Amino acid sequence: MKIPWKKYDCLLIVAGFLLLLPFLKIQRTTDFIIFCVFVLSYDLLYGYMGRLSFGPMLFLGAGAYAVTLFSEHLSPNPFLALSFAVVAAAAVGALIGPIIVRTTGAAFALINLAFNQIGHFLVLIAFAKYTGGEDGMSAHFSKVGFFDVQDRTMIFVFSLFCLVLAFYLLKRLTSSPFGILLRTIKENETRARFLGYDTFLYKWGAFVISGGLAGFAGALSIMNYGYVTPSFIDPHRNVEVIFAVLIGGAGNLYGAIIGGVAYMVVSNYLATYIARWEMFLGIGLLLLVFRFRTGVWGAVTGLLASRRGEAETR
Amino acid sequence: MPESAILETRGVSKKFDGFVAVSGVSYRLSEGEAAGIIGPNGAGKTTFFNLLTGMFPPTEGTVLFRGEDITRCPAHERVGRGVIRTFQLVSVFDQLSVRENLVLSVVRPGDGRNRKRGFFFSDAARPEISDACGEALALVGLEGKASRATSSLSYGDKRKLEIALALSLRPAVLLLDEPFAGLSDAEIGEVLELVHRVKASFSLVIIEHKISRIVDLVSRLSVMHEGKLIAEGDPKKVIEEPLVRQVYWGRA
Repeated sequence: MKIPWKKYDCLLIVAGFLLLLPFLKIQRTTDFIIFCVFVLSYDLLYGYMGRLSFGPMLFLGAGAYAVTLFSEHLSPNPFLALSFAVVAAAAVGALIGPIIVRTTGAAFALINLAFNQIGHFLVLIAFAKYTGGEDGMSAHFSKVGFFDVQDRTMIFVFSLFCLVLAFYLLKRLTSSPFGILLRTIKENETRARFLGYDTFLYKWGAFVISGGLAGFAGALSIMNYGYVTPSFIDPHRNVEVIFAVLIGGAGNLYGAIIGGVAYMVVSNYLATYIARWEMFLGIGLLLLVFRFRTGVWGAVTGLLASRRGEAETR
Repeated sequence: MPESAILETRGVSKKFDGFVAVSGVSYRLSEGEAAGIIGPNGAGKTTFFNLLTGMFPPTEGTVLFRGEDITRCPAHERVGRGVIRTFQLVSVFDQLSVRENLVLSVVRPGDGRNRKRGFFFSDAARPEISDACGEALALVGLEGKASRATSSLSYGDKRKLEIALALSLRPAVLLLDEPFAGLSDAEIGEVLELVHRVKASFSLVIIEHKISRIVDLVSRLSVMHEGKLIAEGDPKKVIEEPLVRQVYWGRA
């Protein structure tokens, strides 16, 4: 369907997060923004390609540890470290992708989880000497020109820029023929092969892109917090991004951002009012899965479409 | 050899857990020929198509495309060479719009045209693609329905869309698996007329259940029964053969 403000969506994202600022601490708002980058990366995999993964934290963690280790051992330049983190997370995806993308359904979800657990074990125990194990380690970045990671406003602006950039690139990617190919893989991969596409390669490619983007989010988080701990690669936290995508509506980039913000608001603030807030989140999720399969975004666009009398679909 | 073969099998068999679906079939399709395969349900016709198009490899035997062994060639590479098929149960993408269904076959892999630059970051709705999709839809008479949701199409229109998909892949040989199944008489007429109209530009193999529909369409008819080819030749003569009458109508 046509959305009149689609041209200005990048500006709207910026405006939306600026509006959050009066209500939240700036570091928290930055955290929201970065989480949305992570949700976008997951939406490519789950929403567009239709592969549910229980292990996206592996890539967030790969980026988080890569940026920290790079800044510690190679160069404190934040831009170099950030680039390295994206490449490292994408490389992890490229390495394990060929094994993972052959599978579908439960196998896909669980192999991802298994690799996530291996990654968690590696940073927590096997390489504890380098990663600081349970305590984690702090990251130090140098000033580059006027850009200072320590400056909360600076990192807020930079993260917002990164989110808009990621959003814009994914928008281009998902509305291209490649985006359509991902959707055909979601619906009927065999049929896509009979259109002449080596679907394995494209699934692998999408997996690498999603991993790299998740690693980007992980690295940004470290720039925001200044230290890394194993919680950045903890398999228990995989549900967060899955919930966020479901809340917003899978397979839509606007939905991913709405879902990301909504999940963060709920998990950050419901917890202060309700002790066992996860239970209510669970109930909310059941409702989403059974009543509103298309998430918040799907419900909104569906309502708009029905008010226009479905004129668009004809 | 009088004419060269575009598609040929030599003794292909397919066994599933001991069940022999296709048994030692040697088949030859000449360039530009239109041929039909008939046979009762479960005769192995679709399995034979699957072997030709690379859905799975045969247990035994070889498949040749223009003299080249493609037995182990994956499906997408066969499509690249021009071996294009449709499916017995219409197979289009319900979640996409009608126009979006055609984008991937219009932006054809290995074609170079839109491949390198435009595949990943350019708008799939840009005019050059949209126009090509529109042409493909006009060919099958779906021009007014480009922006419709595919799930809202009738079964007959979905069949036409699937044929448009196949045609826009520019087939060297087109394999139609029971294209009339599930269609109303009026729709069958339309699809028949469509196939008649376009069949001159490629070789054609058509699987059909009802012989009468394709007698005028094909120049050669093969009959499959229990995984084997039991008769082959001029359509009007083949259906007179006693063995064919026996398996088909249960009487000679």
